[in-house]
Order: sequence, then structure tokens, then C-alpha cells
Amino acid sequence: MVEIALGTALAAIGAGVAIGFAGLGSGLGQGMAAAGSVGAVAEDNDMFARGIIFSALPETQAIYGFLIAILLLVFSGLLGGGEGLSTTAGIVAIGVGASIGFAGLGSGMGQGMAAASSVGAIVEDTDMFARGIIFSALPETQAIYGFLIAILLMVFGGILG
Amino acid sequence: MADEIATIISSLGLSNEAFLAIVLLAFVVIGAIIVIVATRPILDVYPYLHPNARVRARKGRLFDDKQISELVEANNVEEITNYLRGSPDYAEYLDNYTLEKALDIQLGETYDLVSRMAPKEIQSSFKVMAKKSDIANIKSLLTAKEAGLSQEATEELLVPTGSLYEDLQRLTDVDTVTDVVAGLDGTEYAPILEEVLPEYEKTGMVLPLESALDKYYLDKLLASSETPSDENKQILYSYVGNQVDVANIKLILRAKVDGLDYDAISPYMIDSGYQLREWKLKDLMEAEDVTGVISSLEGTKYSDVLTDVLPEYNETGSVALFEQALDKFLVDSAKSYSMKKPLGIGPIIGFLSQKEVEVKNLKVIARAKREEDFPISKIREMLV
Repeated sequence: MVEIALGTALAAIGAGVAIGFAGLGSGLGQGMAAAGSVGAVAEDNDMFARGIIFSALPETQAIYGFLIAILLLVFSGLLGGGEGLSTTAGIVAIGVGASIGFAGLGSGMGQGMAAASSVGAIVEDTDMFARGIIFSALPETQAIYGFLIAILLMVFGGILG
Repeated sequence: MADEIATIISSLGLSNEAFLAIVLLAFVVIGAIIVIVATRPILDVYPYLHPNARVRARKGRLFDDKQISELVEANNVEEITNYLRGSPDYAEYLDNYTLEKALDIQLGETYDLVSRMAPKEIQSSFKVMAKKSDIANIKSLLTAKEAGLSQEATEELLVPTGSLYEDLQRLTDVDTVTDVVAGLDGTEYAPILEEVLPEYEKTGMVLPLESALDKYYLDKLLASSETPSDENKQILYSYVGNQVDVANIKLILRAKVDGLDYDAISPYMIDSGYQLREWKLKDLMEAEDVTGVISSLEGTKYSDVLTDVLPEYNETGSVALFEQALDKFLVDSAKSYSMKKPLGIGPIIGFLSQKEVEVKNLKVIARAKREEDFPISKIREMLV
């Protein structure tokens, strides 16, 4: 059996939380945006490209979560090439995962609702495209905050470097 | 710090693995709570996303004020027909049917579409609304047989939409109203019509049969939305309830203009409306005249709507003024409901109401254009 340090194991939980919750938010959001887009395309084939754009928007939260999870796995030594993390750093890693995980969950869900609503508005009035993109991009900020804090925690919590 | 944590873990008598398992378990529990709490609003919204996008697409294709104005200024019905050929919603029916029939078919298809794609929790009300086409066709059949029209003329009156169209088409060759009612055996409308058939046989008028169908429809519509368990259903109940109340008020006003009393009106009323409950309806039916009905409505949202047109009614004596005001009230209230739940039932109600208005307005325009030199200003007045 492979021996894993407690800190490294805690970092693994952090990585799981990061991608798990961010992915959940992203998936829910993307599902909502896609459901709205399918409805729009069913009525107007020209909506396909715009529907894809809005459905892709809530993908970013999963990407942030995925990046943080990869960084945690690499720098915790779980993927080899290190001594493993201290218990303290492991607890910090859970904070890192929670930061992007929960921020991504809320952001993804919010973005999905805004994107689905925007698709409905655009299929009714094509001039709404630019405004729809702006409104749909707004809930992205929460994920960016979570991502930034996760990076700062990793840098100053002794995980990165 | 690490040592302190290790001390705490060992003082609790836990191994590293046991501590890790507890942390994991805590995360699973917290995660589960978050997932349940976070996904609840999503579950409410999700069923509406697809239908809302579809109805909003159709709403975008409705004619705006400028287009309606262009239609009002058209020289004849052919111009209107050609104009409507530019709309994908009407174009497919205009090659085979007259303008009015094409409008009716499109509206019937719209009810059917909405009833099929509406989320399950609100579907029953829209399924009832989709019965409007069948009821209109049955009424046409009854009227045709009362007037003794031929099979071809009767068939011409039927609109090819609704679930009973083919059955009703088979009934176009029967001779009498009684035969039509007998031919409907096995449908939900048979017992309703059989109940009032003796009245028809006594008076020779199909009005009681038509009223029974209207009453059945509105009763069923109200019953389908009567348990408003969430906000979407509450809005639906208000939307449907307004229609029932307005139907009751229109009936009472018409009856009062004709000088009918409580006993004559009550068989045709929906027993208990939305805002106008049984006792209130009794008050209204017992009122002396139109002014009495409007006074009795004080305190309800229908009072201002009718009071505003009362002076004009007193001048002209036209009950149509009240009906127009009530129709406008229905459209305005549907518009306000449509804005309450943009990710819920709102867009569906908004679209359906505006579609009804569009078809009604197009019919008004088409009818006016069939008349010689019908003034444009008069058409504009008649539009909803």
C-alpha cells in the first residue's frame, strides 16, 4: 500500500472539492443554458451558433476548478515528485478547494440561469445578443474571486513554492 | 501547528486514517446539504427553460404595432392574406384555407403546442385550453344543424384542428341537433349536452347547449388550476381565475341589459369564480340593472375597469363597451403576470395572451376589409 502523508491526503480532499463543486455548478448552469438553447433552436435554426456560445459560458467554472485541482495534486506530491504536504498545508488545501468549489457552484448556477434567459430574449429579439452576453458574463466574477483566493491561498499557504 | 493538530488527533484517540475518514465524512455531509439547497431553485426553473425559449421565439414572431397598423391600412383582404404569407406561422395554412379559418387553425395549433410542451405541473390547465377548438367546432356543428345547413356548408364551418375534428366531420351529414348530441356519445361533452337537450327540444334554441359547453369549459379550467402549490401555479390560478370572473361578469351584464332575473341567469353561471365567490355572484345576479351590478362589484379589481366606461355606456347603451374594457383588463393582467416569473410560467402566459389578441385583431381587420369602405379609424377603435 502506498504511504500518503496526512497533509497530502487532505490536499486530495481539497482537489476533489475544487473540481466536484465547481463542476456541479458548471454542469447545472450548462444544463440550463443548453435546455433554453435547444428550445430556441427548435423554433429557429439560426439560433444554433448563439445557443452554443451561451451554453459554453458556464464551462469556465469547471475549468477553474479543474486547474486548481491539478495544481493541488501536483504540488501536494500526490502525482509523485515531492515529499508530500504538511498537515497544516493540507488543511489550507481544503480551503483552496472550498474557495473555488463553492464559488464555482454559485457562479455556474447563476450564469446558467442568466444564459438561458438571454437565449430566450435573443430568440425573441436578435438585438439582445450583446446585452445578453454582458448579463450572462456578470456571474462569472464570483468564480474569478474564488479562483484568485484559491491561488493566493496556495501561494501563501505553503503549497505553491 | 502540525504538531498541535497531531496532538489533538492522538488525544482523541484517533489514528490519521480515522481522522481523515471523519474529515471526509464531514465534507460529504456538508456537500450533500449544499447540493440539496443549491439545486432546489434549479429544479423549479429547469422544466420551464425549454418551453420558455420556444414560446419566446414565437412571441418574437408576433406582429408588432407597426405591422398591425400596416395591416389596418391594407386595401383589401387579399393584401392582408399576402402580408400574412410572410409569417411562417400563418403561411402554411393560407394556401388551403380562407384567412379567418387559417387564423383559427393557427390559434388551435398554438393551444395544442403549448399544452404539449408546458411543464407537467401546469400542463392540465393548458390541456383544458386546447379543448377550445373542439368546443368551437361542436358549437358550429350545433348552429349549422339548427339552421338546417347542408353537409358541405356545415363542413365549411368546422376548423380542422382539435382532437375531435375527424369525429365531428363525420357528424356533418346528420340532420338534427339531437343527432349531433347523440353522435358525440362517448366523448366528455355528451353528458353535458344531454343534460340540457330537453331545454333545446322545448325552446328550439341551441343557446342552452352552447352555454352548457362554455360553463363546462370554464369549470374545468378553474378546477385544473385550483391547488396553487407554488408561485407558478398561483400565477396560473390568477390568470385562469380572471378569465372565469370576466366570463361571469359579461354574462350578468348581458342578462341585465336584457332584463333577466336571478333564476334565468343562475343556470349559466360558473358557481364559484376566483375573486367573485358564490355569495358575490348571487349579489350581482340579484342586482336591478347594469349600474347595480357595477356598484356591487365595488371593492373588487373589476370595479374600476367597468366604472370607467359607465358614462359612455349611459350615453350609448352599448354593453360591448364593458366587454371591451374587460377584455383589455384580461390582456393587461396577463401582461403583468407574464413579468412576474420570467424563468417560470410568465413567458407562456404572456405569449398565449398576446397570440389570442393578435388573432382577434387580425380577424377584426379581415372582417372590416370585407366590408365596403369600412373606415380605418373605426377599425383602430375595434382593436384590442
